[in-house]
Amino acid sequence: MTSKERVLSTLNFTNTQERIPRQLWSLPWAQEHCPEMMERLSRDFEWDFDGPDTVLKEQPVTKGDAYAVGEYVDEWGCIFTNIHRGVIGEVKQPIVEDDDWDDVGRVHIPEELLSFDIDQVNRSCEQKQGKFLFASCCPRPFEQLQFIRGTANLYMDLMDPPPKLLEFMKRMHDFYSRLMEKWAKTEVDSLNMMDDWGSQNDLLINPQLWDEYFGPMYRDYIDIAHQNGKKIFMHSDGNILRIIPKLIDLGLDAVNSQLFCMGLENLAPYKGKITFWGEIDRQHLLPRGTTADIDQAVESVYRTLWQDGGCIAQCEFGPGANPENVYRVYQAWEKIRNK
Amino acid sequence: MSILSEISENLQRGKAKIVKELVQQAIDEGIPAQDILEKGLLAGMDVVGDRFKKNEVFVPEVLVAARAMNMGTTLLKPLLAESGVEAAGKVCIGTVKGDLHDIGKNLVKMMMEGKGLEVVDLGTDVAPETYVKTAIEQNCQIICCSALLTTTMPVMGEVVKEAEKAGIRDKVKIMIGGAPVTEAFCQQIGADKYTTDAASAADAAVEFCRGMA
Ligand code: B12
Repeated sequence: MTSKERVLSTLNFTNTQERIPRQLWSLPWAQEHCPEMMERLSRDFEWDFDGPDTVLKEQPVTKGDAYAVGEYVDEWGCIFTNIHRGVIGEVKQPIVEDDDWDDVGRVHIPEELLSFDIDQVNRSCEQKQGKFLFASCCPRPFEQLQFIRGTANLYMDLMDPPPKLLEFMKRMHDFYSRLMEKWAKTEVDSLNMMDDWGSQNDLLINPQLWDEYFGPMYRDYIDIAHQNGKKIFMHSDGNILRIIPKLIDLGLDAVNSQLFCMGLENLAPYKGKITFWGEIDRQHLLPRGTTADIDQAVESVYRTLWQDGGCIAQCEFGPGANPENVYRVYQAWEKIRNK
Repeated sequence: MSILSEISENLQRGKAKIVKELVQQAIDEGIPAQDILEKGLLAGMDVVGDRFKKNEVFVPEVLVAARAMNMGTTLLKPLLAESGVEAAGKVCIGTVKGDLHDIGKNLVKMMMEGKGLEVVDLGTDVAPETYVKTAIEQNCQIICCSALLTTTMPVMGEVVKEAEKAGIRDKVKIMIGGAPVTEAFCQQIGADKYTTDAASAADAAVEFCRGMA
């Protein structure tokens, strides 16, 4: 079985024999602080996911490096200040300062991201044949709005949105939809999207606001994927228990979230309905857990959420994670099924 | 409905402009500033804090309520100062060095202000010496540290040590919080109080200030 077939059978809940697909997430921090472990991981395990090398004809207007200390300007013109190498920074000075969004003209819609050539992408996909391939785009409407306006300001705006914000959200959604449509026409296997929706114990915003403004955007991205025969994955940090059933209703194929802060037992009802794209707790277990804790965590994810599919062996190698524990995560998954 | 309950109701719904108008009206009617503050604004913020604790409202609702409260307190401040009303206590707060997450820290600050405490906001990426220096220079009874990354949690222990070194450990209480922080960690580093949410943090701070008065 190829990686692609293995992932597809896992997403379709028909993986009765094969090993559980795996993917490693790492922040640049890991490569800098633990290059040997990164090397060991890439040598010792076969990885199932990849993505095409993509050439943009027009370059986005970014300045600096998102993961370096100092200032970074993203594709939309948002200015980040970073104090630590290897992780991202934060927006100190939002570009939209006006409460009525009168200065929304300062935001740049990054049309450049659409300037890839489908044939070029497909040629790259062909070279990586056998792997499960992700598109190189990732809508994040809620987070991007926060980067544009500042988190606290945006949250307050959403309580009583000024017309120009709503108008802008339509433009943003139109852009993301065109981007997803174009990627859905390539040979990749899956589209993806992200937005952190949770704090440690609940959603960051009222679920009604989610239903009203953001759920419909995700529905469109999911529909674009499925209409074109693609899968779709989403990442969302924090405790997002309240929206997991909504994402299932919208048809999402796989979700990456903080399983352990939601409590595995609370996720049991969703077994067989969505694929849990990782993770293993990076707040307590990866930094401070023993290897026995890691084995037990992996085992309990498998026991609670696997049903001929529905799990992907994944964790994030980021600041604070004990490298040996990251390695152990994949070893433990391998022990469960190693075909 | 009395004007004070109207202030509280509108604050709970985040209606900043109406709150401001009502506070002005209450002042004009000759209601003492302290009553407007306590029975109007702070009473409203109390309800919001409580509902947030129970996950009935979310961060945006708290933010708009706090904005409405600030509109009201701006009008009241000169009057409170004139009549010699003092804050319930003074706190300095910040997100620890190396950490930029500030949504939770800001909520704690707002809830503490909602309890009538004066809060010095040190922002994010705050060094242990800065907390201690501020506490000394500005006579804060409490130092509050927020951390959202496991890698920055140890800085909280350094704050405790720094306070000991400066000889103020018996004069200030040190409160800690943020998603990865636990009660066990609080005890391990010798801090005074950990709470899981912002409303409980404000309650605990008020208790400390009462005890130290
Ligand atoms: C929003 C968010 C961000 C935003 C922050 C925006 C901002 N202005 O703050 C952005 C996108 C910038 C961000 C960046 C990063 N983040 Co982040 N982020 C989150 C997220 C999703 C929510 C945090 C939040 O705001 N919650 C809402 C508030 C209200 O909750 P709170 O902060 O916990 O506060 C409450 C209580 O804890 C308490 N409290 C808070 N402070 C205090 C203080 C005292 C004294 C007391 C008593 C109580 C108290 O009261 C509050 C209200 O009730 C969390 C997920 C999570 N599980 O928490 C990840 C999370 C914290 N981030 C994480 C990471 C890894 C990062 C990055 C390294 C990611 C990267 N790719 O580079 C960077 C680091 C940036 C930096 N240098 O600091 C990880 C940390 C893991 C770990 N090892 O600890 C988390 C847990 C996500 C995960 N998957 O594990 N992040």
